[in-house]
Amino acid sequence: MKRFFLSALAMILLTGVASASEPEYFNVYKPSDGMTADEIMQIEYFVKYTKFARDVELNGTAYFVDKSGSTRERATSRQRITLGRKSDDLAYKDLNLFTSPAQVRGLATLGWTYMNPARQTDTWLWVPSLKKIRKISSANADDTFMGSDFTVDDIVTRKFEDETYILIGSENFKGYDCEYDKKVYFKDAPCFVIEAKPKKSPWYYSKRVLWVDKNTGGGVYEEMYGPDGKMFKTIFKDFRIFKVDGKDYATQVLLECKDLRSGHRTVIANSDIRYDQGLSEELFTEKALSRSRW
Amino acid sequence: MRKLIILLLVVPFTFLNSYAGAVENLSISGYLKNETALGMKSLNEVPKFKNIISLSGEYTFNDQFAMFASGRYWYDAAYSWRDKYDSAQTFMQHVQRTDWLRDCYLDYTSDKLDMRLGKQQVAWGQADGITILDRVNPFDLTEYWVQDMADIRIPLWMANVKYSPKLNSTLQFLVIPDFEQSTSAPPGSPYTFRSYTLYDSWKKGKNVVEDIQYPDKEFENSTFGVQWSDRVGDMDYTFNYLHGYYYSASTYTQVYNPYLNKYSFLREFKQWNMYGTSFNKTFTNPGPLEGITLRGDFAYYNREPVYYGTDGSSTGYHLWDNVFWLLGVDRYIATGWLASFQFAQYIMEDAKPGIPGKVTLNRYTYGPADQIENIFSFKLTKSFLHDRVKPEFFWTGTDDNQGRISPKVTYELKDNLWLTVGAHYFYGHVQDTNGQFRESSQVFMNLKYAF
Repeated sequence: MKRFFLSALAMILLTGVASASEPEYFNVYKPSDGMTADEIMQIEYFVKYTKFARDVELNGTAYFVDKSGSTRERATSRQRITLGRKSDDLAYKDLNLFTSPAQVRGLATLGWTYMNPARQTDTWLWVPSLKKIRKISSANADDTFMGSDFTVDDIVTRKFEDETYILIGSENFKGYDCEYDKKVYFKDAPCFVIEAKPKKSPWYYSKRVLWVDKNTGGGVYEEMYGPDGKMFKTIFKDFRIFKVDGKDYATQVLLECKDLRSGHRTVIANSDIRYDQGLSEELFTEKALSRSRW
Repeated sequence: MRKLIILLLVVPFTFLNSYAGAVENLSISGYLKNETALGMKSLNEVPKFKNIISLSGEYTFNDQFAMFASGRYWYDAAYSWRDKYDSAQTFMQHVQRTDWLRDCYLDYTSDKLDMRLGKQQVAWGQADGITILDRVNPFDLTEYWVQDMADIRIPLWMANVKYSPKLNSTLQFLVIPDFEQSTSAPPGSPYTFRSYTLYDSWKKGKNVVEDIQYPDKEFENSTFGVQWSDRVGDMDYTFNYLHGYYYSASTYTQVYNPYLNKYSFLREFKQWNMYGTSFNKTFTNPGPLEGITLRGDFAYYNREPVYYGTDGSSTGYHLWDNVFWLLGVDRYIATGWLASFQFAQYIMEDAKPGIPGKVTLNRYTYGPADQIENIFSFKLTKSFLHDRVKPEFFWTGTDDNQGRISPKVTYELKDNLWLTVGAHYFYGHVQDTNGQFRESSQVFMNLKYAF
């Protein structure tokens, strides 16, 4: 009996230590030398989903470029409120709206993402051709994200708990030649190199190799490998620091994803980014979604 | 010449769009669209060559107030090409009266209170393409149910007020002083209801006088609606109530003079009530149901007009209490394939009208109607080539072995240019809702330029 209580106490203490090491919402974290792969990746996810900010608004354009260079555009507006609320398990809520071209203008989605890593996102869709809201099932994680080269997993659903991590090393990044604006990004930037393997198997990728920028905590570049071990996709993210109330917010301003099999690539350029405007949670409701006029 | 016409149409709207960009807070958008259909029985038959122009504008005064208006004009050249459709030409060749104005409203939005005042449409319920709670606006059924629901609903002038006493809960009030009746295609059109065609044939050679009594334009004749929507756990639900005039007139023979062979028909609109509820829930937690969205509508129609008579001939109507309910299931079944299945039941108050020799009638066909109609629908959609190609398969049918199959593929030629090709195939008995159009199956092609 005594052994049971000691074991239970040890479990509680260990759990306490584990949760204490998880980043807390609305704080700013940066990875540092000496951290484990798990600690670095917890920060990477924290930065990816802007959990440091109360809210964020991103206006930008997505470019779909095929092998021949033919380009299609989608202008989007995205708002997110971070909640980190244990009472109803809500991590954050997202509102995504297509603003152009005219054919897709008005198409909007509302997503509620939960803190429980095993739980899927609740999604509502405003369908202009129906002029009504439809509750929709979450797309599969390996589905394309809104027609881009990113998967739903890449942008929305992948969580820290979905993979295991190994710290391969620490190095200065070789730099990324961006096809969108022909610039070289993050040349010689000090990065951690992490290997991430999905717990789900079989899965559409066997591993990712990420370069996590020590300055921002953002995963600036990653290579994705298929079940056959061949690299099939690369993702680049340009992170910039936004000063908000004296805090450094690492922000994705440009993303470029290349499908090495098809030669197709997707660029998302966020041109207008605003943090902590005091967005009301009322903006992330079905009522707000139904305000769409298009 | 064709290029010149296209230029003349496109340039002004491109200019308008640029102008809107230059004027702060004003946003203009629109499209030019051609809808061409060919009869499946004979590809020489062109039941539709519809050219549509639509223009929408939004002006934002500030964070709380905005004005939105949209108009749509169309001309269907098929009705001027073929004699067969001459009888329907007046009504079907171009947009009627003020129907060109689709939206015109002022929006006020705040955290707790939203108001939308003006001409608009309101969609209730969770059903997809089956109108159970979606009865706030009347319907334009001149092309049956094959168009998008946003085009089928006839917008009305109304006050639409939403108040949220707490997060995710909304109380909606509708006051609709405007009245329009649902419309259907006149005889001679591809989608003329059998009931209309039979009545029209019967009328020939007779002295028929129709007296249509519209509701008086008084406030008490307005339609009133209330919806409460809330969330329990991770399930959304609503309670709905609608009171007003039924949007289809009920017809009966008021006077028959056998000496003059003269019939006097009275067509009157009756008040009815709809009580309903709806829900949706996505199973987000791990388990066998993970990823499934369940949704449902239930409606109790109080005093809904139901025709009775003999096959092909209506002799009167009852005001019955009927029930219409639906359960829908959606799920991604493979990478990117979204499957959607619906089952609905329309249950009439009684199996028979209680008049010897008479049966209850299907309102679209005047064929005998079952007391319980079981309705099914299935939709499968997927996007390919980075959302550039979107195939869709849709089937709807009933337990009477009648239905409609509508496959289509939409291809994005350029950012603003979309091509859709597809078909509407009808099967079943001519007395049934879909079966009546079994000779009107068609293939179609739509070309849309949006700006």
